[in-house]
Amino acid sequence: MRLALAIASFVVLIVHGVVFYDQFFHRWERHQTAYFEQARSLTKNAAEKTELEARSPKIEQYIVTSFGDTHVDRCGTCHIAIDDPRFNGHAQPLKSHPYSEAMGDVQRNGRWERRHKFSDFGCTACHGGQGRGLENQYSHGEDEFWPEPLLGYVSQANWRKDFAPKLKGKEYMEAACAQCHTNESFPGTPNVNRGRKLFYAMNCYGCHKIDGISEGTLGPDLTEAGKKFKVDYLWESIVEPRANLATSFMPKFNLNDADVRSLVIFLKSRRGVNLNETEIDRYKAHVANVPVVIPPGTENLKAGEQLIAERACTACHKLRDKDGGIAPDLSYEGLIRDSEWLSDHFKNPRSRIADSIMPTFRFPGDDFDRITSYLTSLKTPPPAMAPGETYKELCSRCHGEKGDGAGKVAWYLDPAPRDFTKSAFMVSKPRERFVKSIQEGVAGTSMPSWKNALKAEQVDAVLGYVLESFTKEKQRELKPRQVPEVNPVTTSEASVKHGEEIFLQRCTGCHGRKADGKGPNSLDISPKPRNLRNQPFVQSVEDKRLFESILYGVQGTAMPSWIDYGLTKNDVGDIVNFVHSMNQKPRTQQNAGN
Amino acid sequence: MSTETKDPGVVRALRDLPSNLWSSIFRNPLPSTDLERSSTSFTNFFLHIHPVKVHKNTLRPIYTLGLGLISMFLFLILIVTGILLMFYYVPSTQQAYDRMLDLRGTVAFGIFLRNMHRWSAHGMVAMVFLHMCRVFFTGSYKKPREFNWVIGVVLLLLTLFMSFTGYLLPWDQLAFWAITVGTAIAGYAPVIGHEMQFLLLGDSTVGQEALLRFYVLHVAVLPAILVLVLAIHFWRIRKDGGLSRPEKALAVPAVVRVRVEASATKKTYGLQGFVRGPFTKVGNVPDDSVYAWPNLLLAELFVLVLTVSVILCVSLAFNAPLEEPVNVMHPPNPAKAPWYFLGLQEMVSYSAFWGGIGVPGIMVGLLLLVPYLDRTAHGVGRWFARERLLANTIFLTMVILNVIFIIIGTFFRGPNWTFVSPF
Repeated sequence: MRLALAIASFVVLIVHGVVFYDQFFHRWERHQTAYFEQARSLTKNAAEKTELEARSPKIEQYIVTSFGDTHVDRCGTCHIAIDDPRFNGHAQPLKSHPYSEAMGDVQRNGRWERRHKFSDFGCTACHGGQGRGLENQYSHGEDEFWPEPLLGYVSQANWRKDFAPKLKGKEYMEAACAQCHTNESFPGTPNVNRGRKLFYAMNCYGCHKIDGISEGTLGPDLTEAGKKFKVDYLWESIVEPRANLATSFMPKFNLNDADVRSLVIFLKSRRGVNLNETEIDRYKAHVANVPVVIPPGTENLKAGEQLIAERACTACHKLRDKDGGIAPDLSYEGLIRDSEWLSDHFKNPRSRIADSIMPTFRFPGDDFDRITSYLTSLKTPPPAMAPGETYKELCSRCHGEKGDGAGKVAWYLDPAPRDFTKSAFMVSKPRERFVKSIQEGVAGTSMPSWKNALKAEQVDAVLGYVLESFTKEKQRELKPRQVPEVNPVTTSEASVKHGEEIFLQRCTGCHGRKADGKGPNSLDISPKPRNLRNQPFVQSVEDKRLFESILYGVQGTAMPSWIDYGLTKNDVGDIVNFVHSMNQKPRTQQNAGN
Repeated sequence: MSTETKDPGVVRALRDLPSNLWSSIFRNPLPSTDLERSSTSFTNFFLHIHPVKVHKNTLRPIYTLGLGLISMFLFLILIVTGILLMFYYVPSTQQAYDRMLDLRGTVAFGIFLRNMHRWSAHGMVAMVFLHMCRVFFTGSYKKPREFNWVIGVVLLLLTLFMSFTGYLLPWDQLAFWAITVGTAIAGYAPVIGHEMQFLLLGDSTVGQEALLRFYVLHVAVLPAILVLVLAIHFWRIRKDGGLSRPEKALAVPAVVRVRVEASATKKTYGLQGFVRGPFTKVGNVPDDSVYAWPNLLLAELFVLVLTVSVILCVSLAFNAPLEEPVNVMHPPNPAKAPWYFLGLQEMVSYSAFWGGIGVPGIMVGLLLLVPYLDRTAHGVGRWFARERLLANTIFLTMVILNVIFIIIGTFFRGPNWTFVSPF
């Protein structure tokens, strides 16, 4: 035991030695000593020489209070020659900070004077990094937990290897400049300015909010993106939106590296507070769109085409060979939508499709007119093809190549595209209804009217193809049902009230208490219950169909046959009156909140 | 010796000053006889906590594994490093994190002190728990040591709470969210849960009030209570007859009255031989005991040096974690409690009430009641005694279950508390 005791004591002794060595012989002391020696040999001034001889290593620090919080920057402890112009050719850390006229430094009597004095600004305000540390790993922010590694110089160990090299470069420091230099065309921050323009041009502002710049609500608020996220995360989120959130529906913009870099630098400069800005400035900041520059004299058609390209509509929509993979195809827009529909939809997408996720863009009214006139000019019908080809070209983007309603963009559409493989539904409806849906479209949904694009026999052929290859069951002989053509119950307050009572008792489980189709059971139901406040849809449906659906249920869906549960025709009439009563308000008012 | 025969002059007094000073402080010379050994242990304030003689069984490393002692020494390290850290720490949400950065980067020995404090704290939780296991598996909680076991359980809880309150102080993401999770577990208690949580945090969320409360609890209230309870724990060890040992030793007459002449030199000195009065100890057998000086002290010194050297090496090799500054809007996923509460968090993920309050409450209750439920007197003083198979099996199952839950919670839980493999 005595031997073990001796060994353990020895370990204690050794560790003490190591710790003491560590704590008393710092690397920065060596840097400082080297500086004193070299400066002594460089100087010709006797007074300075004696002064240098008298200096001994100590921690140097700038305490900066100008920016709200107190910053303590001890960078000068290693970088001690930072303000000594004789050291401009030395290797780091004994290199003097460059002087530059672009940074506002001026030369007076042969001596440079800094615009941004270290005593006023410190170091980390511009460079990032951790001012309090005295070891490279910590002070340069190489430690993965430090939120602000040296901008453009340091990548942390857990950053993605594939683009970590792209995150280096002086230009990243512009993000720090823009904290004070908020002017949109400040010449010192070309990347921030470019990033800001891209933020508009790529329609980022449609989904993302940045205080004083944009008001999008679909994506995360980016007002403090620069404070919350490191450049690695920002870059990744732009080039691979789904890397962090698998359910993100942010499109992939396929930007080139220079554009991504500018966007990252711009976003990194968004820290919620711009140091140069007062509260009132921020309050006054207005939503300022960058206009797309259209050469004067361009006709609307051409301008519209340019706008669609520059406003990045194809980030979501499809137009010929460009496909964002999120929103419907615009290639035949002139045949399937009219200009009235388009301009309503631009002003408020929810006015025509109640549950559309398309953001409300704040383009100038002229731009909308131009885009509309371009889109309505797209009147080239698809070439005559076999029904299967036609289906693939026009239908499969939403309804899916297997007809299961799970096309590429189906996830983003509400109501969801019809699943043709649910034969119980498909065989229980008359063929005329499907023909009508194809030819006239379904109001309030993304299903457009195809009658201008497809001839009647083409429609018939496509429908035949769908029924044959997806539904695969023979159309059932439909027995005639006792359903009134028109609601026999006249609308009255009592009728609506009674309808509401029944609705609250029987229907809210699936259709929801707001009748928006989002009841508690709706999560497990496919197809989803109807949103009964989808005004265009409800108004387009005949009473007869409502009666039939309620009384006899909708086969292939969760809607039961309510006649079996004791609802009479009068009850159903009351419910129909109630549903209509919810959809009476003028459109604009109903959707004003969106 | 008599003052009348020689009246020492000032010069002589000065010359003898060092040796007089020495003998006035330490009273005894380095002991060479049994009397001096007894007297040394007995008359020294710091050694007085020891018995003059200890049973040989007490000194068997394989019996105690030194776990209680290690816990004690870790606590001493914690006190020393903790006090030093207090000189630099400010319990303010504005400053705490910056102070951590200063400790890590600038303060001499700062990072080392913090490492020692951190690893000792983790070590103490583990060692106190293992000490409890040792006491159980050797059946040492049995009569007359029942209440000391209860005190021990209280000490375990105090240790956990000490460590938990200290966890918040760095005020980084790790601390903030661990405490958010930990106090949320307390909130699951029925009726008083939310009040308890509020009392602890001083607010509905973790913030400045919580930081201040945790600080005061950590540096003042809990250490004071812990020291007091610890003193009782030690005092009772002696009053309950020293450490437990095999029953065979008890075959000797239980209570004896011994009177000893203090002036006689060639004599074996019984325990408390310097006190005139009844011999209160039970089952002390002169043949099986040895003098505390130097046997016990050497063993203790060994454990101390070993503990210190391990902590020093660990502190040199591993830095205490310091993550991002607190960001209330950006919880890490998953947010995990300190490791010793991860078993609880894992159970909470199955059932909030049962995992957070029910099961741990029952477990602590059972622990407190163990000596009163298990009244058989057999199987004391031996590891895994056959007579105690049932009790040991039940306890071991509980321990293993807890450890498994902690391991699952620590290594096998990823984002959204889904099961992930660490390999």
